[in-house]
Amino acid sequence: MSDPTPTGPAPFDVRPVKKPIWQRLSLVWFVPLVALAISLWAAWQSYADRGTLITISFENASGITAGETVIKYRDVTIGEVEDVEFSEGLTDVLIHARVDKKVAPFLDDDAQFWVIRPDVSVRGITGLETVLSGVFIEGNWDTDADVAQTQFTGLEQPNLTLANQRGTRVVLRADDGGSIAAGAPILHKGIEVGYLEKPELSFNGRQVVVNAFIESPYDRRITSSTRFWDTSGFSVSLGAGGVSLDVNSLASLIEGGIAFDTVVSGGEVIRDGHRFDIFDTEQAARDSLFTDPNAEVLEVAVLFEESVSGLAVGSEVRFQGIRIGEVSNLNAIVVGDGDNAQVRLQAVLAIEPSRMGMGSDATVEEALELLSDFVTRGLRARMVTGNILAGTLFVELTTIEDALPAIMNRTSGDFPVIPTTDSQISDVAATAEGLLARINALPVEELMDGAINLMDSFERLANDEYTRATPAALVALLDESRELIASDDIQAIPRDLRDVIADLNGLVTEATELGLISDIDAAIATAAEVAENIDLATRNLPQISANIEAFTTRANELELGALVTSATASLDSIDAFLGTDDAVAFPAEANAALSTMRALLDEVREGGAVENVNAALASANQAARAVEDAVSTLPALAARANELVDQTEAVVNSYGERSRFSAETLATLRDIQEASDAISSLARTIERNPNSLLIGR
Amino acid sequence: MGSAGQSHGLITARDAGLVACQQCGQVHPLHARICKRCEGRLRSRDEESLQKVWAWLIAGMIAYIPANVYPMLLTSTLVERSESTIIGGVVELVEYGSWGIAAIVFIASVMIPVGKFIAIVYLALSVQRRSIANQHERHKAYEVVEFIGRWSMIDVFVVAILSALVQLDTIATINPGIAALSFALSVIFTMLAAQAFDARLIWDANRTRQ
Repeated sequence: MSDPTPTGPAPFDVRPVKKPIWQRLSLVWFVPLVALAISLWAAWQSYADRGTLITISFENASGITAGETVIKYRDVTIGEVEDVEFSEGLTDVLIHARVDKKVAPFLDDDAQFWVIRPDVSVRGITGLETVLSGVFIEGNWDTDADVAQTQFTGLEQPNLTLANQRGTRVVLRADDGGSIAAGAPILHKGIEVGYLEKPELSFNGRQVVVNAFIESPYDRRITSSTRFWDTSGFSVSLGAGGVSLDVNSLASLIEGGIAFDTVVSGGEVIRDGHRFDIFDTEQAARDSLFTDPNAEVLEVAVLFEESVSGLAVGSEVRFQGIRIGEVSNLNAIVVGDGDNAQVRLQAVLAIEPSRMGMGSDATVEEALELLSDFVTRGLRARMVTGNILAGTLFVELTTIEDALPAIMNRTSGDFPVIPTTDSQISDVAATAEGLLARINALPVEELMDGAINLMDSFERLANDEYTRATPAALVALLDESRELIASDDIQAIPRDLRDVIADLNGLVTEATELGLISDIDAAIATAAEVAENIDLATRNLPQISANIEAFTTRANELELGALVTSATASLDSIDAFLGTDDAVAFPAEANAALSTMRALLDEVREGGAVENVNAALASANQAARAVEDAVSTLPALAARANELVDQTEAVVNSYGERSRFSAETLATLRDIQEASDAISSLARTIERNPNSLLIGR
Repeated sequence: MGSAGQSHGLITARDAGLVACQQCGQVHPLHARICKRCEGRLRSRDEESLQKVWAWLIAGMIAYIPANVYPMLLTSTLVERSESTIIGGVVELVEYGSWGIAAIVFIASVMIPVGKFIAIVYLALSVQRRSIANQHERHKAYEVVEFIGRWSMIDVFVVAILSALVQLDTIATINPGIAALSFALSVIFTMLAAQAFDARLIWDANRTRQ
């Protein structure tokens, strides 16, 4: 109704001509195009830059978080963990991570990964930064790109040696791993030059094998004649020089440590992986210059029927007196079966063929052939006493001349068996027994017989008619003397004596004039001093004589047999002497002596001896002085000896059980022990719970 | 439809041979090019409006993808270093129980931009098809879109303020991520798209059909 009626022409449908689309296009379209281009470019870029995906398997993934934990190489972040999952069967934790594309080609078979966690040990605190930032995975590989890999097995313990670290790695072997810990220092002349890696059991389970890394340039100090020894802990030695306490570094006290030194020159340059033995002490290391740890060892067994107590692992094996090896194992085995079963003690001997004169390149087989040949020619093994007091034994391979024929049993048992012969074991008890037997065997009876013979001879001498005739001869002698005195000559003697006295008077006067008296006085005084000194010295004599007595006692004990024999002999010879004509002629000789005396008196009378006497007195004086000098040093000497004895006594006393010194030493040692206990318990606590260091609990 | 019925009696400025300044509202004859009051450019209809809308819209959508894929905030503290995307941040907030903040972030960063995309696409498509339905509602929707567009910048402002304030070296540092930039671009592009949309085209549909 409201529609208007058309009044004019129908309206034109006027429409503008549509322009082509490229003319109508607005410039604004550049915006989404540019945005799209940028987005696509960014997406492609991030896809292209995406790292290589690798997978590392660990036993546990403590602290590893996907998206946060990074992988570092030489402290530079090269990747990030993307995912953490379990492997099939939940055996391992698989860590998927992307690493930088530039680094990925270097991840070949020498690449190692481990997790860095805070670690507190005696040697210091490592990985402290991970306390705040969380753990990270550290990788290590060399700079040679081989065949790249994407699957890796992570190490549970950090690898101490970096692949590009310069140095030498050697293999150390020890019988006991108690003093070896991973990371323990290797010392050379007291400075730390390397460290031990993780110790492991050797293939046959007998030894502990540990890799040791010696850093450059110290590794040049190692040659084939280098010796390693254990320096862990401390040692106390009590000797003539007093008590000495050797303590190494605190780390080696707790973690153990190995030291080395090249004791002689001329060793060859070694390569990586050279094997060395660890000796228990420095002394043992230095003494073992001739042991080559890399020599092949021939192992043979010896079955002993008797007790092998005194034989130990490590006891020497000697061949004709030369050391050729050592006992490597001792055990009991059953030989035979049924009623014939017997327990034998089997000693396994480790023999170095080169020691048997076979040259350094001799093989074990050749050595075995040689030994087998020797056995058929009478070579036998036996135990020989090495040290009587300690009761140690060693095994000797020796040739028995008339040995029963035997061959080396090379078929049964684990080792070829060398037949045995009677052992030469001597111990202290046997030695004492032998001494008593010798005393028993002394010819006491013969000595008594000799003495009785001597008595008889004396008796015979007394009963001899010549002896009885002696009184008569004496009477005759007296008679003769009387006649002699009555004789004119003797009567003249007083006159002569008077002359002599006069001469003496003159002599004394002369002597007075010459000052002889004072000389004599001085001599007398000196003699008195000498006497005093001798007196002093004599006071010290009891000790000396006690020593002499002791010495004599020993001498008596030792030379009893010989002494008795020689005493008997001398008694016999006295006996024989008394029986000779010379002895019988003795009274006649006495007569002759009297006449000689007389002749001597005559000579004296002839005078002219004054000068001689004078000179003699002077030289006596000198001699007395010399004696005095000599004697005067005696008291000092004795005093020093006394002093020395006192000191010795004091030292000995101070070493006594209840002395203060030893109590203090013991207390000190106990303190040190407690301290080291405390340190090791602290170390254990920290090891169990490193956090405690930080949070104080 | 009521609006269609009502529009029957209306007359547009173009029908009346006039053109209105979009800035100040001054009415000029159709042939005028410059507003004599505000010197704004006078156009009766913007023929390139739809092209511009689509272009800006697509650019905004492209920019919105990295805004959601890449992290918005790079937070590194003494203990840890974390990156959070928009959605990740919302999920985290929900996990912490901060429902209110999570809602604000979700609305400002996800619902509003996405809603804007949908609204602008709908408006542009309906204009292209010369739909005559819901003309009033569509006009209102356009006004809402244009008004609300700027509030999407909340997220960008939060990131900007946090980044400026929390720079405590090693203890705590917050840095804007790539997403912050692309999100800001996305918001700007959609705002431009909304502006480029000539609302008068909504009403032209039934005119040209007649």
